[in-house]
Amino acid sequence: MEIPRGKITGIMGPSGTGKTTLLRIIGGQLKPDSGRVLVGGVDVARVSRDELFELRKHIGMLFQSSALFTDLSVFENVAFPLREHTALPEDSIRDLVLMKLDAVGLRGARDLFPSELSGGMSRRVALARAIALDPDLLMYDEPFTGQDPIAMGVLMTLIKNLNLTLKTTNIVVSHDIHETSAIADKLYVIADGRVIGAGTPAALREDESELIRQFMHGRPDGPVPFHFPADDIASDLLGRAVA
Amino acid sequence: MEILQRLGTRMLERLSKLGQASIMWGMALWGLPRRGDFGLFVRQLYSIGVLSLVIIVLSAFSIGSVIALQFYTQLARFGAEDAVGMGLALVLLRELGPVVTGLLFAGRAGSAITAEIGLMKSTEQLSSMEMMGVDPLRRIVAPRLWAGLVALPLLTAIFNVVAIYGGMVVAVEWLGSDPGGFWSGMQDVVEVWDDLGKGTIKSVVFALVITWIAVFQGYDTEPTAEGIGRATTRTVVMSSVMVLALDFALTLGMYGDFK
Repeated sequence: MEIPRGKITGIMGPSGTGKTTLLRIIGGQLKPDSGRVLVGGVDVARVSRDELFELRKHIGMLFQSSALFTDLSVFENVAFPLREHTALPEDSIRDLVLMKLDAVGLRGARDLFPSELSGGMSRRVALARAIALDPDLLMYDEPFTGQDPIAMGVLMTLIKNLNLTLKTTNIVVSHDIHETSAIADKLYVIADGRVIGAGTPAALREDESELIRQFMHGRPDGPVPFHFPADDIASDLLGRAVA
Repeated sequence: MEILQRLGTRMLERLSKLGQASIMWGMALWGLPRRGDFGLFVRQLYSIGVLSLVIIVLSAFSIGSVIALQFYTQLARFGAEDAVGMGLALVLLRELGPVVTGLLFAGRAGSAITAEIGLMKSTEQLSSMEMMGVDPLRRIVAPRLWAGLVALPLLTAIFNVVAIYGGMVVAVEWLGSDPGGFWSGMQDVVEVWDDLGKGTIKSVVFALVITWIAVFQGYDTEPTAEGIGRATTRTVVMSSVMVLALDFALTLGMYGDFK
């Protein structure tokens, strides 16, 4: 797998195929059982702890659960990486934080606490926090889940714009096919821990392989079963009555 | 055979946990502090020290007065009421002060530390901090360890003072024992190093152990609601048992020659 620099790469696949795990391996939080992950030529599983933390300053990650710090306000959450990693004076930090919050439409929510935000709003705050240090690599874990259509549109434009203006390398992990196809330059489809398809969104949509067709067009029947492995439903339901 | 195998696995698991805990503890305590860390330390000192004051003061007062009551009734039979102050001070400074404060601290602050860190872990706050290049050992764990180390000996001192005051209220103000005898008896027998110093050493050791257990249990918790509940219970149980066991060991080691 190759993630091109300065492009948006989408990683799609059914739930439970290890998309989030992949992001954690890239970020060095998990060690791969086999294989290597190079970020900018550095093997993240082999560097020292200090080097890893240094490397992570250039990586932004949006967590599926937002993972905002519940003891800090929205403003302080976004200011957190700036305060930790820069020696900027307070008024510069304020300006930067407000700009980032404005980009996600939440400048007015700066004094709220994470517990007062809706799921979609906290996702946007988390995004503002992830881009606070203008990272070189941005990883989004399911950025579109739980967003209303308006916020969804704004988020897509935001991701696209960040990529265009800052030349950020983006990895978007998602199973929202339409949204991801719309913004990604390149797509990977993974299932069962393997890459089953790669290419531009247009090319993948035309792909002939059963697996990819099923996924790209959202059909319940195909090589990937919709059901978690189970006995036949008739015997499962009737079995107890018979016995 | 199978039992042996399982016992072995359990032992190995325990040992590896102990190893992890020691590494974490070392890295957190000796990690270099950074600008702004003092503020974090002060905040923790407030939440685990200052907020424990109420329970410490209340328990100290009642324990002090109840000891004085028992001592007085027994000693009065020999006409030795004056010895109440002396006995009270020795019992508190050497044993009850550090031990009871340690137990209360484990219940009040240790459980809070575990629950807080456990919840941070289960909501991925620790992960996201790591991904931002901020070491949670430095940002979250270290301030709590240091704050516990400072808070517990101070709380113990406060406990001792309040308990002696409580004893004085009972023995002198209420039961009418002679205040001169009460205080001078205490002054005669209490040694700075032998009683105060060794008691303080005990409370420092307890602080190390309790915060270590609390922080590691939080950090190592299974990120579910039950997991946090279990970890919190384990913190209180383990640290209470450790406090009592260590107290015996420390008393034996420091005062020695009992036979």
